[in-house]
Amino acid sequence: MLHNDTKNTLINLSELSGASSESLANFMDKGFPTNKWEEWKYASLKSLNEVSLSWTPEPVSREVELPLFQQTLTIQTLNGQTSCLGDLPKGLSSMPLNQFLDQNAGFKALYDKRNPLLEQNSLYHLNDAFNQNPLVFCVEKDGALAASLVHQWVLEAHSGPTAIQGKIILYLEDGSSLTWIEQQSSLASEALLFSNYALEIWVGEQAHLTLYKDQDLGNGVTHIDHTFIYQAANSQVDLFTFSINGTFVRNNLHFYIEGPQVVSNLNGLYVPGEGQLIDNHSVVDHRMPHSESNELYKGVLLGNATGVFNGKIFVRKDAQKTNAFQSCKNVLASDRATMNTKPQLEIWADDVKCSHGTTTGQLSEEALFYMRSRGISADAARTLLLLAFVQQVIDKVQITSLRDHLSAKIISKIEQSWIA
Amino acid sequence: MLSVKDLHARIGEKEILKGINLEVKAGEVHAIMGPNGSGKSTLASVLGGREDYEVTSGSAHFLGKDLLDLAPEERAAEGLFLAFQYPVEIPGVSTTNFMKSAINEIRKYRGQEAMDAVQFLKMFKEKMAYVNIDQSLLSRALNEGFSGGEKKRNEIFQMAVLEPKLAILDETDSGLDIDALRIVAEGVNKLKSPDNATIVVTHYQRLLDYIIPDFVHVLYNGKIVKSGTKDLALELEERGYDWIISALD
Ligand SMILES: Nc1ncnc2c1ncn2[C@@H]1O[C@H](COP(=O)(O)OP(=O)(O)O)[C@@H](O)[C@H]1O
Ligand SMILES: [Mg+2]
Repeated sequence: MLHNDTKNTLINLSELSGASSESLANFMDKGFPTNKWEEWKYASLKSLNEVSLSWTPEPVSREVELPLFQQTLTIQTLNGQTSCLGDLPKGLSSMPLNQFLDQNAGFKALYDKRNPLLEQNSLYHLNDAFNQNPLVFCVEKDGALAASLVHQWVLEAHSGPTAIQGKIILYLEDGSSLTWIEQQSSLASEALLFSNYALEIWVGEQAHLTLYKDQDLGNGVTHIDHTFIYQAANSQVDLFTFSINGTFVRNNLHFYIEGPQVVSNLNGLYVPGEGQLIDNHSVVDHRMPHSESNELYKGVLLGNATGVFNGKIFVRKDAQKTNAFQSCKNVLASDRATMNTKPQLEIWADDVKCSHGTTTGQLSEEALFYMRSRGISADAARTLLLLAFVQQVIDKVQITSLRDHLSAKIISKIEQSWIA
Repeated sequence: MLSVKDLHARIGEKEILKGINLEVKAGEVHAIMGPNGSGKSTLASVLGGREDYEVTSGSAHFLGKDLLDLAPEERAAEGLFLAFQYPVEIPGVSTTNFMKSAINEIRKYRGQEAMDAVQFLKMFKEKMAYVNIDQSLLSRALNEGFSGGEKKRNEIFQMAVLEPKLAILDETDSGLDIDALRIVAEGVNKLKSPDNATIVVTHYQRLLDYIIPDFVHVLYNGKIVKSGTKDLALELEERGYDWIISALD
């Protein structure tokens, strides 16, 4: 146990009722990660050990704007409270985990054998302590939802530092498909917000999930995102993490490949600016043979931003004939920005194809002069080069309105950074 | 149009331009020749505004404005164009998009309204014919994987689009076979008018068979050491540079 003298947060915590004592104890044992932890070297949350956080947030006080992505349903989690705006479309059901486990034996079997990697993940335990019975959304067998679902994760601090936690479980039964658009945002406020969100997903055989994350969080927000995806045989997941704003954003993205012929596509684009840190930690755990993972991350670092990329690929002994690719490319658009990259491949199988590459560079002075000599201003030239750099990821977004929405935000963020 | 007086420039500690004097009037074509390493590209770059070079003394005026006071993009908007000896790769940006940005940035500078997509298309079609360039090349990332000839042709296409008052072509002929050379030269000739001027920087006389200069200057060791008419170019072709250089010593 940590000393109780300075750890105000933890004192408050232990006084809360309704938490799972085991998970809470797991968290309390370690506390918030500090830069002494290898996995948190560049992204310490040490200061949160000293802050007195309120663990029971007030409800969000304002109406939240709905995006127009032609979704069939919008689900909102406002300061941790999840609700659906409207009726569930055909083929989609939703109920609390405990009830769902009783009703769906197939899911229960998967859930009971889950085995995530939780080392240096004290914040997952913290989340788990308070989310013992989260909502499950289930896409029924062979069901394909014609349009996408939008999930809004919205934060609002009222008075003083606030912790907001929540969790959602998705289950795609065999042969089903789903597009899930997640918008993470916060309502303007100056107060410190600690956001700890978990999304756990089971993708059944032959099922197909497309998941977009649009992270656009305000000043003062520390956001931890645990997205764990378990994939069964012949399933495919196309995942996109667009990290546009946030004072401190840490994505713990885990793929557990638990059957053959699985395809996992991980795409990431981050554009941290002045005073912002964006940290993408991904794990692709090839547990079964004949599967394929493709990881493409791109970063543009503006102002004095810090970026972190850590990409772990594990190929277990049984995962023969695995193809795993990873690429992380970054542009430091300012000489005050820093990027830390660490690819980490651990391979126990002998018949596999793996490759990885990370680059971090600056815009070419030669290219900038060439563009300026044609009449394009230095700022416009930089913007044009950076947009060309990120286009590869943006172009993969299949929903036009979402693509335009993301693109517009990224352009405006880059342009704003020249003015500052 | 262009008036360069006693221009000195250096890079790091090294002085490269050692007092250049050059007067170019509307309607004229000037050729600047000289051996490798004499400072031809440096002169072009300094006039274009490349920041690596430091102008230590002298002046350059363009259409009455102090050229050295203007940023590279302002020079372009005032009507200066530099065709690069080594055109730079612009990853992910097509010629079409690149030119749209350039045109609209220049129009903004001049207080004109932005061009719309339809106007662009019409204008591009017209200019493509000038240099016999293919649409497929314009859709590709600019200069990425282009052959030497494609790069140079693309430079002339850009020039046709931007309609500069003064174009400086730095060794546009190098790396071109005779057919490409003819196409490029024809493009330049078609764009010639009594209102604009061209400076052709070249190593060989060859290009000057197609682009007939009014004046020929020999640049050597950072200075213009001899000027004449197109006959000087023919003489250089025959006798090389040595006779001029030895006359200096
Ligand atoms: N970036 C540079 N750094 C150092 N020296 C340079 C640089 N650019 C040009 N020079 C030198 O300046 C001189 C003139 O070069 P350049 O203008 O390219 O000549 P030209 O175009 O006539 O062949 C050469 O001696 C060359 O080595
Ligand atoms: Mg040269």
